[in-house]
Amino acid sequence: MSDLKYVGKSIPFKYADQKIAGDLKYVSDLSMPGMLHLKLLTAGIPRGKVKEIDTTRAEALDGVKKVYTFKNTPRRPFNGYYWYRDQEMIKDEVLLTDYVRHVGDRVAAVAAESSETAERACELIEVEYEKQEKPILDLEEALVGGDALHEKGNPFAEREFAYGDVDGLFAKTPSELIFSDKMETPKVHHAAMENHACLAYPEPQGKLTVISPCQLIFSVRLIISTLLDLPLNRVRVIKGNMGGSFGAKQETFLEPLAAFVARDLNRPVKIFFNRRESILATRTRSKILGKVKTAVSPEGKILGRDIDVIVDAGGYTSNGDIVSAAMAKKISRLYRIEHQRYHSYSVHTTTPPGGPCRGYGSPQIHALTEVNLDRAAAALGIDRVELRLKNLLHPHEKDLLGGPDIGNARIIEALEKGREEFNWTRKKKANQKSGRSGRYRRGIGVACATHVNGYYNVYPDFSGINIRFYEDGSILLNTSIHDLGTGARTIMAQIAGEVLEVDPEQITVLEGDTDRSPYDVGCHASRGTYVIGKAVQQAAVKLRELLLEETKKLAKNLPGVKPEEKLEVVIEEGRIRIGSDHYSYQEIISRIQLENQQELNVNYSYHSQANPASYGAHFVQAEVDTFTGLVEVKDYVAVHDVGQAINPLAVKTQIDGGVQMGIGMALMEEIDFDQKGYPLNTNFHDYHLINAPAMPEIRVFLIEDKEPHGPYGAKSIGEISTVPVAAAVVNAVNDALGKFLTTLPLTPPRIIDALY
Amino acid sequence: MKINFILNDEEKTVDIQPDTRLVDLLRERFNLLSVKEGCGQGECGACTVIIDGKAVTSCLILVSQIEGSIIWTVEGLEKSGELEIFKKYFKKHGAVQCGYCTPGMVMSARALLNKNKHPDREEIRKAIAGNLCRCTGYNNIIDAITAIAEEGGFGV
Ligand code: FES
Ligand code: FES
Repeated sequence: MSDLKYVGKSIPFKYADQKIAGDLKYVSDLSMPGMLHLKLLTAGIPRGKVKEIDTTRAEALDGVKKVYTFKNTPRRPFNGYYWYRDQEMIKDEVLLTDYVRHVGDRVAAVAAESSETAERACELIEVEYEKQEKPILDLEEALVGGDALHEKGNPFAEREFAYGDVDGLFAKTPSELIFSDKMETPKVHHAAMENHACLAYPEPQGKLTVISPCQLIFSVRLIISTLLDLPLNRVRVIKGNMGGSFGAKQETFLEPLAAFVARDLNRPVKIFFNRRESILATRTRSKILGKVKTAVSPEGKILGRDIDVIVDAGGYTSNGDIVSAAMAKKISRLYRIEHQRYHSYSVHTTTPPGGPCRGYGSPQIHALTEVNLDRAAAALGIDRVELRLKNLLHPHEKDLLGGPDIGNARIIEALEKGREEFNWTRKKKANQKSGRSGRYRRGIGVACATHVNGYYNVYPDFSGINIRFYEDGSILLNTSIHDLGTGARTIMAQIAGEVLEVDPEQITVLEGDTDRSPYDVGCHASRGTYVIGKAVQQAAVKLRELLLEETKKLAKNLPGVKPEEKLEVVIEEGRIRIGSDHYSYQEIISRIQLENQQELNVNYSYHSQANPASYGAHFVQAEVDTFTGLVEVKDYVAVHDVGQAINPLAVKTQIDGGVQMGIGMALMEEIDFDQKGYPLNTNFHDYHLINAPAMPEIRVFLIEDKEPHGPYGAKSIGEISTVPVAAAVVNAVNDALGKFLTTLPLTPPRIIDALY
Repeated sequence: MKINFILNDEEKTVDIQPDTRLVDLLRERFNLLSVKEGCGQGECGACTVIIDGKAVTSCLILVSQIEGSIIWTVEGLEKSGELEIFKKYFKKHGAVQCGYCTPGMVMSARALLNKNKHPDREEIRKAIAGNLCRCTGYNNIIDAITAIAEEGGFGV
């Protein structure tokens, strides 16, 4: 049994009281004396070259300070995904464009004394386009159409990852053992409840400070410094309180504009988007069109797989190529498959750019492959759980594509546990008995999935930590963590508290501030707990050592201690024992300061040692109303292999939230476009999220079997929690209907279409 | 236009454009920042306040509609001490992640408990149907509200 005191406990989140009381100021709540409001004019057409922009009427409006267009803003192209110097990537976005590439593209901006004035002024700007050009919407057409949205044309990127002998295998496999699917996954809006916001203000000596609810302060700083030609020490980026991100606020595209205007006008400048802008003028989950072909033996062994994907990057490159590599790197980390190939093209379309979104390609690629496995199981007459069990990887098995060790992979236990808790066999029999008739049809689905723990060996993956004891025994943990609302600060306090035997309540955890906190590569790629958490653990160990060392020096001078006497100095239950006497931290640390004249302060830099895989197995029972096409999720079991839950309630909440997002992707969430390229979903009245009545109860089970390099054995949960969801839900719907629907989301019209 | 109403148990009179949205009045004039704006169209519930006992989305209310009304926001519940029980159980059940939806959730829950002291989970789900949350998946919020109802003590 574990004797952990703070790790493994469901400690309430820091700042929860302030959030409940509305006392916590989010970036969108901030204001400063003399602050200007910067409102963007976003394009109302999908595509066209700006011929003329007439801003005179807007400028004449009382309260308008200045109007910006491509004519008076920096023209240097950038990519919002740029996060370390000299990172190679296509840079094709500018602050304000003269060529519109999607509805919502940034065309102009107005700085005004009030947001209403800025908004009214935007309406007075007249944009004339040379002509409205043909939109690019269909991904297969985009591949061959020869129509270029950017210099490089379409496709702008191609990727191939392969091992084994895929062609040889498929050539010798009889066609009845080859199972093919084509799947479309939707462009999804992250739907963080707080719309995008940022605040920039000038400071003395030509310095600019930006408060942003972001995920990578050092990337924001780097991009601003590059675009505005400022040395890094003249840009300060502070992570502000944020109302959710899910990847939406990972890339930098608003902060440089706010910073530029703040410098230009020498006034604080705030941007606060409305929902339409958050949907159309930020980032989305990349849509994909995927094809998969899987060869499976009659006994259910997966022999090989061939995957072809087209990634819809939208109007700008962003991470439209990198997300494809991320998808590829999942295909060999779940099942043992000896021959595999992944090929992709990335194309630009006249739609809002794709970008990082919880799971970073994983929900998409798993939707394709997990739905396809069900087709194989059905054709071979093998139970769907059994088929998966036959092929799942064992702990530390090799990733045949050459990725890092999968670590203590416990997906088999997760799937078995889920089967039992969900009552898979009983539910399956009940369904078989009731048959597929009647208005309401029930089906069950399962999906397995994997995701990462940081960037080990691929990108920089290190984290600086500063941790110090105050003289009363409380602690300051200075990190560059970005708490996205997940409780990351609480998790860090639990880890440090465990090492130092200090109540997490006594530990202040600072978030990122480029001027004051140590460098860290950012909160993305599910590296928060696994990498930064480990850094915190190690730094805390160093601080503990320092405390003991300094106490030993002190011990020599204690009254009544002979110089040659060797006293034992140990930490026991949050107190220090010297010989047989116990002291509080407060007593000792105060004396260390006074007598040793030493601060108990540790700076520590840690880089990841591995990138194990996190796993989840989800089970769904769904009921389809065949009259309306509506789907209700009736029962849901989620089992996750997390190594060690630092805070079980936080883990459970991550999973519930991940499921909410994934059901949306499966059933209703999609930014769709009409044939002319105009978006059909611009606010929550036509972009629907799962609300409370539609949300099932989630039965969560954790497999806790420690991961070697994780803090206390922990690994990631934030992203993996949403990865299997869409696949499992679709599999349940398909089971109910006896079909293989693969165009997501499975909206009522699509279900009705498939039925009649 | 002059408008009189009671806000968090205090009488207020404001001279204001009648087409000002209530959410703007509360945030800008009274600095009640618990009232969030997530959609501006009555679809997300982040701006929920209680008017005359009912939970409403303040982004859809114009100030001309509130003459003589009794309005509560989370700040008012804090002042009256009622917020304590929400704090206790929202924290205990992990009902708060980013927290952006939370004040709105609290107000919808409070309005429900006004008229139904012992709601079941389905009734709670319905009461917060208009409050979107992207972080929690709602279930922990429902746990929290259930616990609050069980402890009870709400007058009308
Ligand atoms: S802001 Fe009022 S309901 Fe969304
Ligand atoms: S807690 Fe973040 S939206 Fe509800």
